[in-house]
Amino acid sequence: MRKNISTLKLPHYKGTAGKAAVRIPVPKEVLLPMNMHSGQAAEPVVAVGDHVTVGQLIAREEGRNSAPVHASVSGTVKAIEPYAAGGRKTTAIRIESDGKMEHCADLKIPQPTNLDEFLQCVRESGVVGLGGAAFPVWAKLAAAQKSHIQTVLINGAECEPFITSDHRVMLECGDLIEEGIELLRRFLESEEYIIGIEKNKPDAIEQLTERFKDDPSVKVMPLESVYPQGAKQVLLYNATGKVVGPGQRLASLGVIIINVTSLVKTAEYFTTGMPLVERIVTVEGSAVKEPKNLIVPIGTSIRDLVEACGGLTEDPGKILYGGAMMGKTVDTLDASVLKATNAVVIMNRRDAEKIKPSPCIHCGRCVAVCPLGLNPTAFARAMEMENEDARAALLQKEQVSLCMECGCCSYVCPAHRPLAENNSAARRFIRSWESARKEGGK
Amino acid sequence: MDKPIMSAGPHIHSKDSSSRIMLDVIIALLPAAVAGVILFGPRAAIVILTCVVSAVLSEYLFNLAARKEQTVGDLSAVVTGLLLALNLSTNVPLWQCVLGSVFAIVVVKCAFGGIGHNFANPAITARVFLLMAFTSTVAGGAAPRFADAVSSATPLNLIGTEGAVLPSLGDMFLGLRGGAIGETCILALLVGFVYLLVRGVIRWQTPVIFIGTVFVCYLIATGSFSVALYEVLAGGLVLGAVFMATDYSTTPITAEGRMLFALGCGLLTFVIRRFCSLPEGVSYSILCMNVLAPWLEQWTRRKPLGGV
Repeated sequence: MRKNISTLKLPHYKGTAGKAAVRIPVPKEVLLPMNMHSGQAAEPVVAVGDHVTVGQLIAREEGRNSAPVHASVSGTVKAIEPYAAGGRKTTAIRIESDGKMEHCADLKIPQPTNLDEFLQCVRESGVVGLGGAAFPVWAKLAAAQKSHIQTVLINGAECEPFITSDHRVMLECGDLIEEGIELLRRFLESEEYIIGIEKNKPDAIEQLTERFKDDPSVKVMPLESVYPQGAKQVLLYNATGKVVGPGQRLASLGVIIINVTSLVKTAEYFTTGMPLVERIVTVEGSAVKEPKNLIVPIGTSIRDLVEACGGLTEDPGKILYGGAMMGKTVDTLDASVLKATNAVVIMNRRDAEKIKPSPCIHCGRCVAVCPLGLNPTAFARAMEMENEDARAALLQKEQVSLCMECGCCSYVCPAHRPLAENNSAARRFIRSWESARKEGGK
Repeated sequence: MDKPIMSAGPHIHSKDSSSRIMLDVIIALLPAAVAGVILFGPRAAIVILTCVVSAVLSEYLFNLAARKEQTVGDLSAVVTGLLLALNLSTNVPLWQCVLGSVFAIVVVKCAFGGIGHNFANPAITARVFLLMAFTSTVAGGAAPRFADAVSSATPLNLIGTEGAVLPSLGDMFLGLRGGAIGETCILALLVGFVYLLVRGVIRWQTPVIFIGTVFVCYLIATGSFSVALYEVLAGGLVLGAVFMATDYSTTPITAEGRMLFALGCGLLTFVIRRFCSLPEGVSYSILCMNVLAPWLEQWTRRKPLGGV
């Protein structure tokens, strides 16, 4: 039998798993950044003072891998302003809510008849990878235009500590999962649908297994609760035994991986006509008084989420979009819930402080734990080299570009060395070095 | 209110730390140290104390002199001193203990950049250094207190000697034989081994492959199960296999590399013991393999998933 990649057993901190998602009170205002997806920023199509309704297009997709943005509350556009929380500078549309949550009158249920029309509809839904990657779903599905997608891998692993929003979606939106699979069956004509779920969600495994028991094409696959089970390469290997080779695309193996919430939100658009305007967010962490799963309009401030959870027990030491391993920090409670914000984790200062690194003791734990079999100490050695060509040569030999920055190496390092951070610096270095060399060669 | 911290992930960390690992090694060495004191008398305690104190002190002073950040808190100097002491016999003059410890810390470890940077195991290198410089005091093992004449000599010196009477296997297991302070009581060493396994400090492969290789080689060479077992229990094999061949800094970083390392140690130990003029080969074999470790590490590099 194939040996599974099993890497790191983490504490789960999934205390909110049993808490059904509750809708928060209509926020007074929402702030919708234009870069809630991985590609180019969207372009606002409304002006200050415009009245908007829920689901109305307020920014159109613009350029590569972009996605449209829709109003998540009804009310008035108050401002189109610069936005920088979380690092990337962009503009954002501020909408003052009228509290009515009035739906846009133009919304209608899409009726695609072929793959191209289907993709166009998905494009208009504004749905992006909701597990955190934020890659537009239509662009992912568009791979089906080039090659036949035999297997759709539905990612319900949710291996990150703290997050339970996908778990709640699987428990609460079974109908939409079924609907989503029907859509893909109709337009992608895939033969196999695998829903991969970590075993720490037995209720979701049981419910979905029961739901699809008469459908041999849908397989609910329990996976070990190890991190990073939900990472592309790991999930692909553990679920299908396939490996994406260097320079290869996942779709060329006849496989696509879609996050379960992304599938559900796509299906929701085709059932109700409502584009992506709200999502489930897990609010957790040592500084949160009453951790919860909340249904929130996109663009709601973290401050409003905190309020819905009874407030904070102490000053926030660290605010995270996402889980404890790969989550990204923001420095203000005024930051917005983005499309891909599956969780907001707020730690107290004690949990947030990092321990000072000490010298590497060459224990090999980082090597043993790397799901891809990379050697983070070699990357660290390379980054200490003065000579850039020698550094690049070692990084290329050790294949730093494969690193997915899952953070396992940093997590286990007894010397508390910032290995994952160094890996991403190394990846940035090698990218710029390679592109500089390419230009130099011209 | 302070600004929330901005940092790269991961935002949680395992409870492990370098000093905790070193503390675990110290704890794992304690049964052997205690057994050594019981078997060889209070002077064993004095040797242990001398080595540990001079190892820690020399690292402290080196850092001070070199204006480096103080590192004695990571406890690795304690481990080095303790290991060196357990590799010496109670007969060793104390000034030689001090010299060995200073050599281990300053020359072998600190001069190469401190913890994690040394290519040779400090305790072993120091032992070999002392062995060469003061053969008469270091090579001869002291006799245990409760032993009769039979078990007073170092068995490896006796094997092959015509008419020599060897201690029984049971005595060998409990440590009732001549030898270095920490190497004779196999029972105590195994307790330490199990502790290290439970704490996840080392993996079983290195000691088991190392010892297993010596056992199998002797079994093939002599055809005698009891001789092979005797060789395993004798000398510093178990001490070396559990505590020195598993040293992080001086062994390959890859799991496969560490297995090859252990195999090499076992083969070399067999060759030295059986075919060379030296009675014992554990230290030399580990030292030789230390030199090969970087090469083994390169050689056992895994093909990354999705890579070439």
